[in-house]
Amino acid sequence: MIRLENVTKYFETKNGKKYIMKDVTLDLPNSNIGILGRNGAGKSTLMRMLGGIEFPNSGKIISDKTFSWPLGLGGGFVGNMSGKANVKFVCNLFGKSKQETNQIIEFVYDFSELGNYFDMPIKAYSSGMRGRLGFGLSLAFDFDYMIIDETLSVGDARFKKKAKEALKKKIENCNVILVSHEMKTLQEMCQTGLMVNDGNLTFYEDIKDGIDEYTQINKTKGK
Amino acid sequence: MVQIKKYTHNIFLDIILDKFERILLEKRSSLKIFLSVIRALFLRELEMRFSTGKSGLFWTFFEPFLQIFIFVAIRVAIANSHGTSANATNFDFAVFMASGFTAFNMFRHTLSSSAGAFIANQGLFVYKQVKPIDTLISRLLLEFFLTTIILAIFLSIGLLFEYENTIPQNILMVFVSYIWLLFFSFGIGLIVGVGNAFFMSVGKFISILSFGLMILSAVFFPLSSLPPAVQDILLYNPLVHFMEMVHGYWIDELDTSLVSYSYITAWTIIPMFIGIWLYNKLEKRIISL
Repeated sequence: MIRLENVTKYFETKNGKKYIMKDVTLDLPNSNIGILGRNGAGKSTLMRMLGGIEFPNSGKIISDKTFSWPLGLGGGFVGNMSGKANVKFVCNLFGKSKQETNQIIEFVYDFSELGNYFDMPIKAYSSGMRGRLGFGLSLAFDFDYMIIDETLSVGDARFKKKAKEALKKKIENCNVILVSHEMKTLQEMCQTGLMVNDGNLTFYEDIKDGIDEYTQINKTKGK
Repeated sequence: MVQIKKYTHNIFLDIILDKFERILLEKRSSLKIFLSVIRALFLRELEMRFSTGKSGLFWTFFEPFLQIFIFVAIRVAIANSHGTSANATNFDFAVFMASGFTAFNMFRHTLSSSAGAFIANQGLFVYKQVKPIDTLISRLLLEFFLTTIILAIFLSIGLLFEYENTIPQNILMVFVSYIWLLFFSFGIGLIVGVGNAFFMSVGKFISILSFGLMILSAVFFPLSSLPPAVQDILLYNPLVHFMEMVHGYWIDELDTSLVSYSYITAWTIIPMFIGIWLYNKLEKRIISL
């Protein structure tokens, strides 16, 4: 369970404070949570807060679960180092043994289908290749919650399918927090929903209700 | 309801022991995380030195040689123009330079790499266990590691070519001086690192300052060679004390009579506290910069 206690988060802008959430108290049950919201509503900020790398201005987020790093934007890699070296670094970071590290390297090599590029500096990668590496790497670690920011849209159609299958298999044993603009994906992967809208955070027991509400909001705002 | 392990027949004692065990376990695991993060970052910094072209690594080892060569050459030129022998002093100047420059370079490099530590490793803060200060500490350890290698190279060269006084007069105290200097660099580096995370110009200012400090820090001359009035002014610079300490304990003919240990203790502890206080206040902002 993730508990938010009087969480307030805002950004300072020229026109005063822009609130993403204002004094929100919520209990999120253990489930696959889909995050909904328009561009710039604060979805990514919310994920980063749940992942513990961004902090509320006041209030607390409490959980005894482990969270992955937010996956998606290919951050956390060093351009000058090879893909393999980067994978090794993350393994070291998590205190993996040599044997485990070798297994993880092999797994990521197979999954990401980078071939020779695996031993080349990351700066030579295309963004799709980076995404593949990042996605493969995160699958190799075990968390209670995987935090995913639109990564399913990485790579070509065939890899997308493969990634989706792999993720489905992965979330049999863990939960996922997913940001996506594809309602189909959200419905497929998640049971519950969380919507960020105008400084409010609304939790939906059923993702379908969330999606309906979200479509409604989009319609009215579009006009 | 939390399950409490049964250690004794007394329930209150059990609760206390249980609490104690929990604290110990938690502490141990956070220490373990810290150590594996530091190890990973250290190896990564090391690998980056090796992988970013050979020039970076070449300069790391060649720079001190060049510095020593230049300053010994200047020394010889001055001695010749005065018509005296280059060895007018009783000690070997190359050894004097090597000991001073290695220590000073350690400070200088630590400071400049601390300045960039938070900015350059921004991308790594997506991993929750990486705290900004870990990146700074690992860079500090890398500089110390490289300094040790450079010292080992100098010592081997000194022994091979039979320079006089290659082996320090007081090995233990030379070691203490280096470690102390490292702690001093940590405090200053932390302040500079935090400052540089919010004001880019701090790093630039520091790189200019450290060049000036080289001239004013008694790196390539013994302080005792200057008139007492100048000595008094230079002794306000804490680095002078560190350099005098290294030189004094290394070279047989020199001593550490000008070093004020209480002065450098203050210069070590106060910046360290200010740095840690600033860092604690701003850590979250640095992570999500």
